[in-house]
Parts: sequence; C-alpha cells; structure tokens
Amino acid sequence: MAADRSTADLERFLAERADHLLRTAVLLTGSKEAGEDLLQTAVERLLRRWRRFDGDPEGYLRRTLCNLATDGYRRAGRWRQKERLLRTGVRPAQDMTGDVDLRDALVRLLLQLPVRQRAVLVLRYWEQLTDAETAAILGCAEGTVKSAGSRGLARMRELASDWSDTAAMCGGEGKQS
Amino acid sequence: MKEIEDLLREGMERFTADLRAPAGMTGRAEQRRHRRLALRSVAGAATALAAAAVALVAVEVPGAGSGGSAVASAAVVKRVDNALNAAEPGDIAQMAVTTRSVSAFGGPAVTTTAEEWSYGDQWRSVANSLDGHPLYDEGSGPASVYTLVNYQTRTWARQPGLGRPAAPAFGASSCKPLLAGIPGPAGSLAPRPLPGQAKGRSVPSLFQPGLPGIGFSASSPPATVARALRTAVSCGSLAVAGRQRVDGTEATELTSRPGSLISETVWVSPGTYLPVRVVVSSGTGVRLTANITWLLPTAPNLAKLTVPVPTGFRRVQLINAVIPIVQQLPGKQEPKTLCLPAPAGSTCQRVSAAYGAGLAPEGQP
Repeated sequence: MAADRSTADLERFLAERADHLLRTAVLLTGSKEAGEDLLQTAVERLLRRWRRFDGDPEGYLRRTLCNLATDGYRRAGRWRQKERLLRTGVRPAQDMTGDVDLRDALVRLLLQLPVRQRAVLVLRYWEQLTDAETAAILGCAEGTVKSAGSRGLARMRELASDWSDTAAMCGGEGKQS
Repeated sequence: MKEIEDLLREGMERFTADLRAPAGMTGRAEQRRHRRLALRSVAGAATALAAAAVALVAVEVPGAGSGGSAVASAAVVKRVDNALNAAEPGDIAQMAVTTRSVSAFGGPAVTTTAEEWSYGDQWRSVANSLDGHPLYDEGSGPASVYTLVNYQTRTWARQPGLGRPAAPAFGASSCKPLLAGIPGPAGSLAPRPLPGQAKGRSVPSLFQPGLPGIGFSASSPPATVARALRTAVSCGSLAVAGRQRVDGTEATELTSRPGSLISETVWVSPGTYLPVRVVVSSGTGVRLTANITWLLPTAPNLAKLTVPVPTGFRRVQLINAVIPIVQQLPGKQEPKTLCLPAPAGSTCQRVSAAYGAGLAPEGQP
C-alpha cells in the first residue's frame, strides 16, 4: 500500500540528502546555478507525487536529475545556453585562471563531454553505481553504459598522459601550448 | 600514478566540495506548483495579452518575499500595465561602460572604458585605452562564432562554438540577488567576482558581457530585463528613491538596500522600466558606471554587433590573442594557468599578470 507522507517528511529527507544530490546535479550541469535549478525542478516533480510516493526518494531524484539533464530540461532556453557553454568549457562561475591540476583538468573535460557520456561517468564514479544500476537510471542498455564510460575515460587518459608528459618537461606547471 | 577513475572521483569531490543545497526547496516547490495551478486556471479564459499580464502578477506577487508588501505589489501591477502599454523599446542594448578599479589586487587604481552592444545571441565589446583607442574588440556573431581582435599585438582569433555566456540564473521571477557581479576594468576582460565564488578567486570576464550590475545577460529581451528590475523592487532588493533627469530625460532612481555589500543605483525609464544608467560600487574599490541606450534593430545598428578585423592583422590561436590581454589585468598576481578552448580540445598556458601600456594605472604614464 502506498504511504501517505507529509511535506515535513520530504523536508527531513532533503535536509539529509539534498547536499549530496546538489553535488550530483552540479556535476551533471557544470555550474552551481544550473545544478540548483535542476535539483529544484526534480524536487517539484517529487513533491507532486510525494503524498502517495512509495519508493526510494533519493533514487527517484537521482533518476529525475539525469533524465532532466539528458533530455527534457535541455528544452528550456536557459539550459540550452548553459549547455553550449559546457560544450566549450567556458563557464562563468568557474575560475579559469585558478591553479590547475590534473584533477581539475579532468573535471573540466568531464563537463565538456556529451551530456549522456557525462551522466554515465557521474553515476559510475561519483555515485559509485554499477553499470547495471546506471543503465537502469538512464534507461539504456548496460552495453551502452559501458561503451559511453570507456569512451569518456579514454579521453581522460589521453589528457592525463599529455599532462604528465608536459608536467615532466615543464617542472609540473601544466600543459603548455 | 593513480588510476584515472580515482583522480576523476577526487576531482569531482573537490569541484563540489563547498556546495550546500539552498534551504526551503520544498517551500519553493510548493509555491511554484500553486502558481502553475493558478495560471492554468486563468489561461484559458483570457486573451494573449491579458494572460501575459496576469502571469506577471501571479509570478511576482506571491514571491514578494522578505521585502514585499501589498503596496509594492500594487505598484508592480501598475508598472506592468505601463510597460505593456508603452511604446516598444529597441532590442539592441548599447552601453558605454566606465570602470574605476582601486587596487583590488594590491595595485594602483585603473580607469577603463568600454563600449558594448548586445542583441539576442549576438554581442560585442570594445575595450578602449585612456586616450580612446581600442585595445581589443571581442564579440560573438551568428552561429556562436567568437572573434577577438587584439589591437596592441595586431592579432586576431576566431573560435566557433563559444557563443554567449549563460544568463545568470536569477532575477526575472525570484527574489534572489539581482547583481551578477561587478564587471572589472575595460568592462570585459577583467576579474568579476561572482556570488558564491570562493573568497579571493576571480573569473576573467572574457566571454561575459551583460548588463552591468544587473543579474541578466544583455541578450535578455528588454521585457525580461524590465521585469527583473520590477521584481527586484517588489522583493525589496531595490527601492524607488525618486525621480531624476539622466541625460535630459526623466528617470526613476532605484537604489540597493543600505548596507548592501555591493551598492547599486539604477535609473530606469519610467515608461518601460528599462535601465538607462547603472552605477555599481563594491567594497573592493571597483566602481562602474554604465550608460545604456536601447536601439532599434536597423541595419546600421545591427552592423555595430560585428567585430571588424583590420587589414594586416595576423590570425593566431585564441589563447595567443588572449594571453597578452590577461597579462595586462591590473594587480600583481602569481602566475596562473589559463585554459581556453581550441579546435582540438583545450589549450593551457602559464601567464602572469602585469601592467601593460593600454590599461595604465592612474598616476603612471
């Protein structure tokens, strides 16, 4: 039988898990503002069915975040603008002159990947889900998750290899053009 | 060396480390749901214009938040009516921006000027030297092709796909802060602290044109900009301070709350509520003045959006056109790594900022 949940229950749940979900949303979108928008939209969707919601709210929100990021949410004009920036790696809320190390470079590269590939890597390596769980969330075959993940990682390995070569050559100062 | 998966995980951890979800998400979700239901109930029975007017009221009145009041709401409704009845303003925002930056990074004060134009997804910004000569000219044309001309090095670069920066995600229908951040020297290629940024960090504002001091990209339609200002008034983040004449035209003066970290005064046209002048000052010593004209999209006006490449200038990679400009940013900064998109991925280079000939600090030749 479906539970009859109160809004206070949802607030309690969000107080506990919203920070983590926001981090997922930000990794999916590339900026704090877009991540907050995305999470807010997902919470609204959950709220609509909350009273009779019978399931794992975190799983539902995570799935909604991914679906919105990879599909419907991009229809919004604001999202299109952000997405274009993500593709080019230029993001207003990001410090491009900040100290860059390989980890930062990897995240920047992550944010430039196609949104579905990015979602796979976020779910696999941030949420630490299995290929099967990732496939279930994204509504695709496990093989698709594996290939998208390995393509993304391959690009990152290339970057890491360039990075270490250049760092060795330039005393660890990063890649020179 | 660590596995790439571990490095990526650490990078993601670090990238999101300081994030905290905003409070009141459930309340906001409920508010939006109620608004949506209210709008749905009236939409079918109204004409397009009437529906639009109701929508504006429905969005703004419940969201009045901390500073909202019935009086403010009534004033907003009246202004909405005025705006809807006003003559259609021009769509191209033309701005003359003067910025005085006082030692944000420990250096002496720098005054710079820039001219900016924005229309839909297209924009252009020309940063001028103290004697009025262009230092660099940048902009994004149709199909998001970004062009940068560096007059000092007589070089230029073009990079497809850069497009326009995202419009800040606040302002139009929420009571979140209106300010997008203070544009730095030259109105374009300088640090602009953004809300939520870690202290001491800054972002180059290359690729970041926009209506200065207003949390909206200049690409926003005039109606959206006007609505953002009205919302700011209804929320109490800006207050009507009276009427004044700006360049011979009557304008309504809006001021930020006393004691605000960033002080802002916006003069708007009473009929359209579009900004005609913005003055923003921050505690870090940056003061920006922007005079804004709204132009009709005629052929001569649209031509102002194109970045001309002078004959004889040499084409270089984007990063090679950018670096000399970054090196002129005011203040003494430690060498940083700058990464920019390039045809094959991104290119990074170490740079250190120092004063150059163009952006001369005050009191120095």
